[in-house]
Amino acid sequence: MTPIAMDTGALVRGLYCILPEMVVIGTAILVLLADLLLPEEGKKRLCHLSVAGVAAAILSALWLGPGKIEGFSGMIVHDGMGLFFTLTILAAALLTLMMATGYSEWEGTQKGEFYALILLSTSGMLFMAEGTDLMTVFLGLETLSIPIYCLVGFHRGRMRSLEGAMKYFLLGAFSSGFFLYGIALMYAAAGTTRIPVIASMMRDARLYGNPVFLAGIGLLLVGFAFKVSLVPFHMWTPDAYEGAPTLVTAFMGAAVKAAAFAALLRVVLLTFPAILPAMSGVLWVLAALTMTVGNFSALLQNNMKRMLAYSSIAHAGYILVGLTAGGVAGGQAVLFYVLVYAFMNLGAFGVIMLVAQREDDGYDIDNFAGIGFRYPVLGGLLSLFLVSLAGIPPTAGFVGKFYLFGAAVRSGYVGLAVLGVLNSAVSVYYYLRPVVSMYMAPAPEGIPVPRPPRSAFSFALCASAAAVLLLGVMPASALEFAERSVLSLLM
Amino acid sequence: MSGLLASLQFSSPYFPVIVLMAVAVGLSAGFVFLSQWVGPKRYDRTKYSEYECGVDPLTTSTVRISVKFFLVAILFLLFDLETTFLYPWAVLYRSLGLFGFVEMGVFVGILLVGLVYAWKKGALEWQ
Amino acid sequence: MGFIDNHILSLMTFLPVLGAAAILCVPRGKDDVIRWIAAAASFLPLVLSVKLLYAFDRSVAGVNVAGQFQFVEHYSWIPSINVEYFLGADGISMPMLILTALLSFLAVIGSFGIEKKVKGYMALFLLLETGMMGVFASLDFFLFYVFWEVMLLPMYFLIGIWGGPRKEYAAIKFFLYTLAGSVLMLLVLLALYFNTTNPETGGHTFNLLHYMAQSTHNGWLKGFDVRILLFLGLFIGFAIKVPLFPFHTWLPDAHVEAPTAISVILAGVLLKMGTYGLMRISFPIFPDVTRWFAVPMAVIGVINIVYGALCAMAQSDLKKMVAYSSVSHMGFVMLGMAALTPTGMVGGAMQMFSHGLITAMLFFLVGVVYDRAHHRQIDGFGGLGAVVPVYTAFVSFAFFASLGLPGLSGFIAEQMVFLGSFDVFRTIVVIAALGIIFVAAFHLWALQRVFLGPLNPKYAALEEINAREVFCLAPLGIIVMYIGVWPMPVISLMNSSLVHLVDLVKAVI
Repeated sequence: MTPIAMDTGALVRGLYCILPEMVVIGTAILVLLADLLLPEEGKKRLCHLSVAGVAAAILSALWLGPGKIEGFSGMIVHDGMGLFFTLTILAAALLTLMMATGYSEWEGTQKGEFYALILLSTSGMLFMAEGTDLMTVFLGLETLSIPIYCLVGFHRGRMRSLEGAMKYFLLGAFSSGFFLYGIALMYAAAGTTRIPVIASMMRDARLYGNPVFLAGIGLLLVGFAFKVSLVPFHMWTPDAYEGAPTLVTAFMGAAVKAAAFAALLRVVLLTFPAILPAMSGVLWVLAALTMTVGNFSALLQNNMKRMLAYSSIAHAGYILVGLTAGGVAGGQAVLFYVLVYAFMNLGAFGVIMLVAQREDDGYDIDNFAGIGFRYPVLGGLLSLFLVSLAGIPPTAGFVGKFYLFGAAVRSGYVGLAVLGVLNSAVSVYYYLRPVVSMYMAPAPEGIPVPRPPRSAFSFALCASAAAVLLLGVMPASALEFAERSVLSLLM
Repeated sequence: MSGLLASLQFSSPYFPVIVLMAVAVGLSAGFVFLSQWVGPKRYDRTKYSEYECGVDPLTTSTVRISVKFFLVAILFLLFDLETTFLYPWAVLYRSLGLFGFVEMGVFVGILLVGLVYAWKKGALEWQ
Repeated sequence: MGFIDNHILSLMTFLPVLGAAAILCVPRGKDDVIRWIAAAASFLPLVLSVKLLYAFDRSVAGVNVAGQFQFVEHYSWIPSINVEYFLGADGISMPMLILTALLSFLAVIGSFGIEKKVKGYMALFLLLETGMMGVFASLDFFLFYVFWEVMLLPMYFLIGIWGGPRKEYAAIKFFLYTLAGSVLMLLVLLALYFNTTNPETGGHTFNLLHYMAQSTHNGWLKGFDVRILLFLGLFIGFAIKVPLFPFHTWLPDAHVEAPTAISVILAGVLLKMGTYGLMRISFPIFPDVTRWFAVPMAVIGVINIVYGALCAMAQSDLKKMVAYSSVSHMGFVMLGMAALTPTGMVGGAMQMFSHGLITAMLFFLVGVVYDRAHHRQIDGFGGLGAVVPVYTAFVSFAFFASLGLPGLSGFIAEQMVFLGSFDVFRTIVVIAALGIIFVAAFHLWALQRVFLGPLNPKYAALEEINAREVFCLAPLGIIVMYIGVWPMPVISLMNSSLVHLVDLVKAVI
């Protein structure tokens, strides 16, 4: 038997490279164990523990810095782009867990499992964002998805929650199948699952012309399309978003999307120049469909959660515009937008969580009537987040969209940019409906009394608002970071 | 014909596996069909009734099974899978050295946490 | 004083928003404190604008010459796409900056009567002022667009929350119309950006002056057809704001529902942004298309004049009538600009300034009677002249100014428009001149129905106009009269810039 050559240095480097992931997983395990030991009234400590763990993970990611560190013989890499997405995902997780301080008390999610599942899912996202091998990406995808299925159905007593979880689980399992099959076909054609290697082989005309390979890429794309809910693979989204506990909905919109786009960006940016003629048409159509269907469906919704679900579909479409454009500009725009979207989405969900007293009809837009003046801070914050989602200056949403559409124009996709701009004009109408309800509709007799937010919750909301404004007025440094990240990938 | 036969590569290391699989599938399928085919068939009312150890059935056959069974089944599956990882690890234990020991320690440790968790949550209590 | 001198435009732009921030910190219930902070925050830009007026060198043109802009502030804002924080003033923007500062201050004073949610109102109003100032001071297209949009939301809320019975409808209509215009502008913005390079750095640029410099290259922007498309996109975007027929339908609704002071700002400043945008951006960047499109613009201008006047005549609501009179008056601006002669251009710009003052008076005056009678039906009054003589005098003055009585500013502007455009479009101008008859008719008819004839006994005890209202109206009246008699100060302010603009557009490439 030949002894396997062991390079301890490589092992240590690999572990070093996944330091943030390990911190998150370790926290998850600690939370599970602590859950067993803590008495019922001390469960809120679990939340504090999770927040501390994620904060530590952020610090460790910053400590690793933007330099390129390859781990496990190139299965995973911590580079500039990995850092950008790691920070985005961890920031989303941190804000989510901070909001959980209050949310868990009202909604009865004060359980160790809840936090552990969020943390485990986060670790999956991090693996996905840093995976440079299709297998790593797939493992990350599954690690992120399975806890999310459970989280969507966390309210076991509510039919909607179960329905959403079931739909999400079934379609998610399907999409994993597509994904894996795509990887298999690509492996069959290329003989490797390493993304950079495939990318360098793409210049080889044989590989590019190989129908097996193209089918593999197509199936891979379908798998991704399910995860980021691109039309026509979006059917699960509204039900899952509406059924899930609101905090989970917010987390899904912000973090899952970021992770999936991270992996997709890695695949597309690296392989794109070579498969441009075959794939750009597909991406174009997907982006156009996703924006349009998402926006027009959102116009018809009366439930805030459902409306934001459709709006998240539309936003996936916008991001895909940047991806279609490709290149440094497109990548930079995608990175920036994913970051901005995390903040505005979490912020918007955070406010409606406070206002809505009960699941389902508590999120009806009519239920927000008169909130604006009775609770000016909440009203102002929600307006700010919605305005940013609509892409109106001087908020971050505007700068983000400007970059996305600008990248499209730069790459010659003028039609797509026009479509995107028109779509965001349409979207203003439904984003303003809650605003109209909050400020202009006559206030009913019993305005719901928003829950008094805990200090961590307030902090999370204020931080999101500050980020939305700051990235809107002074986006320069974040944009530069995004640009350097994309360059580090393409170098 | 000769071309097709020549393309069979008997020297391939996978060949015995294929033979083994073919024999296994063939035997098990063969016996099922054989008993169907050879066995005598005499149907009557008693035979059509549901079989419950010779006693008259008390309820319908589509009963709900307690969720406890599923819990145990899933736990069994988990630890069963753990052993599948343990086998190849055990074979290569010497060449893996300290690294292998630590890695498996982490792996088993995480599973152990899971076991403790399941235990404390009462998944192993039958009542 | 060096800081103020160096950053005078920034201060004018951002002092109001600082005031808004201060207002948000005032505790609940101290409405008077809020009002006075707002007054101070809008008074300071007015003071600065006077300083601006004295420091302004009237001999240099600006328009497309970077070195001739005054009070310039030029910094990098978002370096990765070369967005610049580039402010500057020339003869095109000066009158607008002064007008904005003046009307904003008066509108704040005029809003002292607002009792509902004063804090939110004043904060949004000051934010709006920042947006308006920024639009008139920006020389970077991106910055211009940002300010343009910043203005949109406060306006939406101000109409939607403090407006009349159909405020939601009016607010959303205003918003969607204007947004449609902004969308077109954004597309043009992208197209210009990616087709222009900064000669110093080689990167793409949003600097308007670079666009103007390259507009003279024949091959720029893939030829004439593309330039026409871009021009038309921009034109529609601005036309919605002006508003030009057929994009004007948001205006009457927005005006009727908006509170008085907001109508003043809407008609006095916001409408001017459309024509200002044409002068600042469309004309110098697309001189060849401007020449090509001159006749359609003149025709649209005349349609505005005649159609607006006829609609105004048909209104039974006094405020709606004034709103349509704005449509009519903005037609003069368009006609003067379309002529592409120095006189016409100055006339158009003059009309922008003069109409800003006059329409502000009109809306204030409508607000005065509405506050007392709680309705604005022209036929619901009658004989008010005997009850409220001072008010009647003010209204008569404003109406005569609006219909172009010689000796008042409107007359000068309209005459210059006619003089400047008559040689260019004879038939069109004749029709426009006939339109003046309608303009005069609806003013006089309304005056007669409201103030003359038998007194409606319901209003026998109508309150006379009060000191605060006079304080808002008097400065406007004085300026209108002053310009009507001696227009040179305003003309010389913008003359060299506009003559240069006409030369620029006329220069055949």
